[in-house]
Amino acid sequence: MNGDTDLKIKNLRKYFGSNKVLNGINFELREGERVVVLGPSGSGKSTFLRCINWMEEPTAGEIILDGTPITEKNVRAMRQRIGMVFQHFNLINNLTVMDNLLLAPVKLKLMKRDAAKKRAQELLRHIGLLDKANAFPASLSGGQKQRVAIIRAMMLSPEVLLFDEPTSALDPESIGDVLSLIRELAGRGMTFIIVTHEMSFAKEIATRIVFIDKGKIIEEGTPREFFEHPKTPRVREFLKKVL
Amino acid sequence: MSEFFSKIGELFSTPEYIDSLLHGFWLTIQISYFAILIGVVLGTIIALIDTAKPSKWLIVPKFICRIYTTVIRGTPMALQLFIMFFVIFAIKGFPSIITAILAFGLNSAAYTAEVVRGGILSVDKGQTEAGLALGLSRMTIFMRIVAPQAIKNIIPALGNEIITVIKETAIVSMVGMYDLNMAAKDIGSGQNMASYIVPMFVAALFYLAIIYVITFIVKQIEKSLRKSDLRAEK
Repeated sequence: MNGDTDLKIKNLRKYFGSNKVLNGINFELREGERVVVLGPSGSGKSTFLRCINWMEEPTAGEIILDGTPITEKNVRAMRQRIGMVFQHFNLINNLTVMDNLLLAPVKLKLMKRDAAKKRAQELLRHIGLLDKANAFPASLSGGQKQRVAIIRAMMLSPEVLLFDEPTSALDPESIGDVLSLIRELAGRGMTFIIVTHEMSFAKEIATRIVFIDKGKIIEEGTPREFFEHPKTPRVREFLKKVL
Repeated sequence: MSEFFSKIGELFSTPEYIDSLLHGFWLTIQISYFAILIGVVLGTIIALIDTAKPSKWLIVPKFICRIYTTVIRGTPMALQLFIMFFVIFAIKGFPSIITAILAFGLNSAAYTAEVVRGGILSVDKGQTEAGLALGLSRMTIFMRIVAPQAIKNIIPALGNEIITVIKETAIVSMVGMYDLNMAAKDIGSGQNMASYIVPMFVAALFYLAIIYVITFIVKQIEKSLRKSDLRAEK
């Protein structure tokens, strides 16, 4: 992490045909911030997250990381600096756990194979899955897959990590394991944005809450402000339903 | 019944008959082999163009591929063979084996393209997204992630296509080529044999044998590809 991580999103719009999912989002993220994105389903939360690393190419607007806007040309290099964790884990099925961890750092020549392997082993030991290094993803439980997916993203030492509903596809027991790993990353000062429906976790982990509705940020603030003194009627209504 | 067996004995003990059958069988194998080769290479290229991310450079190639598969799959193989023989390669002295190989190869390509396309599309989109999110190139994602998973889905259907081509080459007898099918008919119509059932029964055994071998090989490949799949452990 290089001290001045700073993500700026300017007037982000994303249309799928006539379906306007994001209608001008302005957003800034500083190093060490942990932003939780909340909002009703279909509000554009996931699309917002997926536009940040150009998994979805924005229709309009700019994503600027440390002063450099993401473009068609630099998108691959930028993605290496912005990690992503998916709802459905997306471990690569035809590769072992170890190869899932090694593929990007070795192929992108960011690390020597031996060094990458050592780091992968350390991370696996840390999450208690070193004995699964040579297993294929199909033999792992959901919680194990997601924790491997998180350390796979960490292998590239990203400046920002994006979590797209990381626990939505998990059973309650696994949710705890994944959340404590995220909590640990938070403790180490990792900068991240997370879309989640885990309200108590949001309250605990976030330095800032952003609420999206109909493709716009309609409210943001500290968890305390947001949960205890919501400003807009839309958020008050939302909180009444989910808490 | 005893006549049937005595005729089979006669067939196998007459060198000219064996010669004719092996000659025909060899032609069937040659046409099939090269047609399948063309089919797999061309079919894969078509499938790659068809499934590639849309861009302005690919609009025309994608359109051509669509037309190609539609026309080839929408017209009878026998008609395509006739067109190749009596229209496109109606050149005196042009080797008929090449015309036949091209006819079957170009036909098979359209079907193989669909098989490969289906295999590629059956790989979960999340697999590609995982690669993209890690900053990998489209080429790396295809070679290391999508292709190995697609092949598992492609192999069984491709085996089917190979079998279809081998059997379908029997129609080259319609343009007078001496393949296994033609050899059976030729022997049967000869005055000495004077029986169609025996040579055709033997020709059927030849077809069955080669197809059995191919089915076996395909099954073995399938098995070894399923290593990363839980289904193999059950």
